[in-house]
Amino acid sequence: MHSDAPDRPADALAEWHIASILVHLRPERSPDVRAAVAALGDVEVHAEERGRMVVTVEGPHEGRIADRMTAIHLMPGVMSAVMVFHHAEPMAARSADEVGTARR
Amino acid sequence: MLDRRDFIKAQAVAAAATAGGISLPAMAQPSMVAGEDAQLTWSKAPCRFCGTGCSVMVATKDNRVVATHGDMQAEVNRGLNCVKGYFLSKIMYGQDRLTQPLLRMRDGKYHKDGEFRPVSWDEAFDEMARQWKRVLKEKGPDAVGMFGSGQWTIWEGYAASKLMRAGFRTNNLDPNARHCMASAAVAFIRTFGMDEPMGCYDDFEHADAFVLWGSNMAEMHPILWTRITDRRLAHNHVKVAVLSTFEHRSFELADIPMIFEPGTDLAILNYIANHIIQSGRVNKAFIEKHCSFRLGQKDIGYGLRPESVLEVRAANAKDPTDSKPMSFDEFATFVSDYTLDKVAELSKVPKERLLALAEMYADPKTKVMSLWTMGFNQHVRGVWVNHMVYNIHLLTGKISEPGNSPFSLTGQPSACGTAREVGTFAHRLPADMQVTNPTHRSHVEEGWKIPKGLLPGKIGYHAVLQDRMLKDGKLNAYWIMVNNNLQAAPNSDNETYPGYRNPENFIVVSDAYPTVTAAAADLILPAAMWVEKEGAYGNAERRTHFWHQLVNAPGEARSDLWQLMEFSKRFTTDEVWPKEILDANPDFRGKTLFDVLFRNGNVDRFPLSEVNPAYENRESKAFGFYVQKGLFEEYAAFGRGHGHDLAPFDTYHEVRGLRWPVVEGKETKWRYREGLDPYVPKGEGVRFYGNPDGKANLFAFPYEPPAESPDKDFDLWLVTGRVLEHWHSGSMTMRVPELYKAMPMALVYMHPDDAQARGLRRGSEVKVMSRRGEMRTRVETRGRNRPPRGVVFVPWFDSARLINKCTLDATDPISKQTDFKKCAVKIVAV
Repeated sequence: MHSDAPDRPADALAEWHIASILVHLRPERSPDVRAAVAALGDVEVHAEERGRMVVTVEGPHEGRIADRMTAIHLMPGVMSAVMVFHHAEPMAARSADEVGTARR
Repeated sequence: MLDRRDFIKAQAVAAAATAGGISLPAMAQPSMVAGEDAQLTWSKAPCRFCGTGCSVMVATKDNRVVATHGDMQAEVNRGLNCVKGYFLSKIMYGQDRLTQPLLRMRDGKYHKDGEFRPVSWDEAFDEMARQWKRVLKEKGPDAVGMFGSGQWTIWEGYAASKLMRAGFRTNNLDPNARHCMASAAVAFIRTFGMDEPMGCYDDFEHADAFVLWGSNMAEMHPILWTRITDRRLAHNHVKVAVLSTFEHRSFELADIPMIFEPGTDLAILNYIANHIIQSGRVNKAFIEKHCSFRLGQKDIGYGLRPESVLEVRAANAKDPTDSKPMSFDEFATFVSDYTLDKVAELSKVPKERLLALAEMYADPKTKVMSLWTMGFNQHVRGVWVNHMVYNIHLLTGKISEPGNSPFSLTGQPSACGTAREVGTFAHRLPADMQVTNPTHRSHVEEGWKIPKGLLPGKIGYHAVLQDRMLKDGKLNAYWIMVNNNLQAAPNSDNETYPGYRNPENFIVVSDAYPTVTAAAADLILPAAMWVEKEGAYGNAERRTHFWHQLVNAPGEARSDLWQLMEFSKRFTTDEVWPKEILDANPDFRGKTLFDVLFRNGNVDRFPLSEVNPAYENRESKAFGFYVQKGLFEEYAAFGRGHGHDLAPFDTYHEVRGLRWPVVEGKETKWRYREGLDPYVPKGEGVRFYGNPDGKANLFAFPYEPPAESPDKDFDLWLVTGRVLEHWHSGSMTMRVPELYKAMPMALVYMHPDDAQARGLRRGSEVKVMSRRGEMRTRVETRGRNRPPRGVVFVPWFDSARLINKCTLDATDPISKQTDFKKCAVKIVAV
């Protein structure tokens, strides 16, 4: 189906990327789409309502995000998959007290 | 307790749920940016790619764009981003970015067959000016030309128009938008007397039916496609019809899918008109009050070179635009030939689907939105087919109100704003004025404060004609900006490349990257792109939107605006204007073109102090006044009070764009209808005020076949087009590693039975061959595009595999736009 972008070398600059993707699908095709999405790996389905599905993708670089997004966009039963949120940071950052937020 | 990743993930989910209108259990309002991102500077900018006009938030840090997000405050995209938009932050940072001027040199000076060597801007402009002056002296203004773009910012296109028309006194200025929506623009003017759609994107939330006429919105306009998908999924009565010559991703949503024989959309549209009339569903009150009927010219040729047999054989190739008045009854008789039986046979679309489609338009209770892009416009009868869709909307009165909307989509970010509104076509001036109209020229001369009679009245060379004239040695000094025409132009090995390398010619290419076009030039000028300059675009729904300069361009790269204005300093009026004009206007003697075009009291009216100090503005600093504001305000004066009203300059830096006409601070969503459009007088209901009589024109045209159809030697239709991952010629997106990996090469998509019949399989290496040239690639039989038997599809983004060596340089004879969708090829194993 889709070809994955090869991972880059895991070096000190390793990053963690997360993105949320809004998927529009034919509601009656939901089981097929969920199965196909789950088979991609690095992807999680969080919510679904009236043909709209919220999916997150995690990976070591943007290539993973773009690859999953494109693969979902092109799946049978899916009308579109578009990006809403993307965040990247060094692998090291972890604890909750580091979290700062800002509004766009 | 949530750890950091869970927290960010929760934010991501909440943001997507909000954008999609999905309810989540007890979620806090999402904060979009976490951690280090909080220290970034965020500013708004329209996306650099298609004509949708999404707004993105752009983060900068240390003079570098580091991130982009969909803009939640933007009405167009409501926080969403497609995959190309997602990678906007990377388009400026390809490793082969051009950072200094490069001139072909041998033995220390310019030589047509020399190698590219770095030179300073002064050396580059010295040589360029020398060549321009040589050509102007030897041959006059007709031998100088420029090929611009719907990717120019509004003020770049406007400055180019001033420099070419008033400076060098030639209308040999055309945008690459000629390749993408000239047919749409011409049909707008002929139908309504004014360019651009009457409706807007708000129609998506009001329509009951959507019809895609030759547009693959799922891949090419993904964000707008989500709005149609939303409407379709949330309302069971809503139906979607998709027409194409091959099956593509948009068919996933189609209630009525239709694959038709290339070119027969003309017949299908006449059938729909006939069905509306025969079934008694004409809105008689509407057509009596608001419409005129005209019989158009037929047998108008195919826009090939005049000596081509197809042109010689055509009865009316010399006057393709003619038409004469006809009555409604005569129109009804004309389309009565297009019966369901006949059109089903011609188009190969099943009768019940044609009937269902026709009923969408005929049923007075169904609000219908028609959408089209290149399938309609890149068509040897592109103007006709645009007219025909207006015919069916006008016959039923389904126009100029929410949800009833014939809507021409665009492929470039400022095809509307720059190419059309500013008027960078060979026949146009600002605000829909025409170069052939003496009153219009005189009005522009006043606005530009230049001598009376200076502007040339002869229509310049259009895109395809520029290539022919370069090859024939009649156009000799040529500047190409923001486009990659050697990859984009049809029949390029025979009609484009020879002109670039013709020893009589000097070719200049301004670009950010070394495209195939740049590589064939004599001088390459490195360009600043997107947020490396202050800019303005106009999208497909008449929305004008602005951005600030956010970072500096690398090295010596400079914006097209700076290049145009700086180059104008190298010419004096005495060198380029006729003696009679200077004798009659002695005050203009001895001035540079920069003085008379840009230091004219208008453009230099706003001081540097008006530039927002939070942002860099290199052009204004270089010239000593607020260049963008001065150009914009001089330009906007042409449209204000004439139905093209733009808001004051500063307003656009505050808002997410406004749809013109902007009257008393209010934008206009639907034109030509009382109560929605301030230009329609009280009591009129509807007025198509672009035409003096206030009426729209319906035109009767027949079905006529394409310029070239498959035969026994070249037995397949070739359709070219685009893909989701890459934008146009790929000069930006192919440099984003992730997009390159996702779609590294242009494949030939074909039916498995067609492959098998030629002894080929998926992955087989093949040549795509036409009478004009060939291209090598691999076969794809299972991909996202599924042509029927007899048709192949090849995208044109791949500079290593140039499909335009195969295409035919046939154009619509009226709009001069190339038909990239219909020629004959064969596929052979390598």
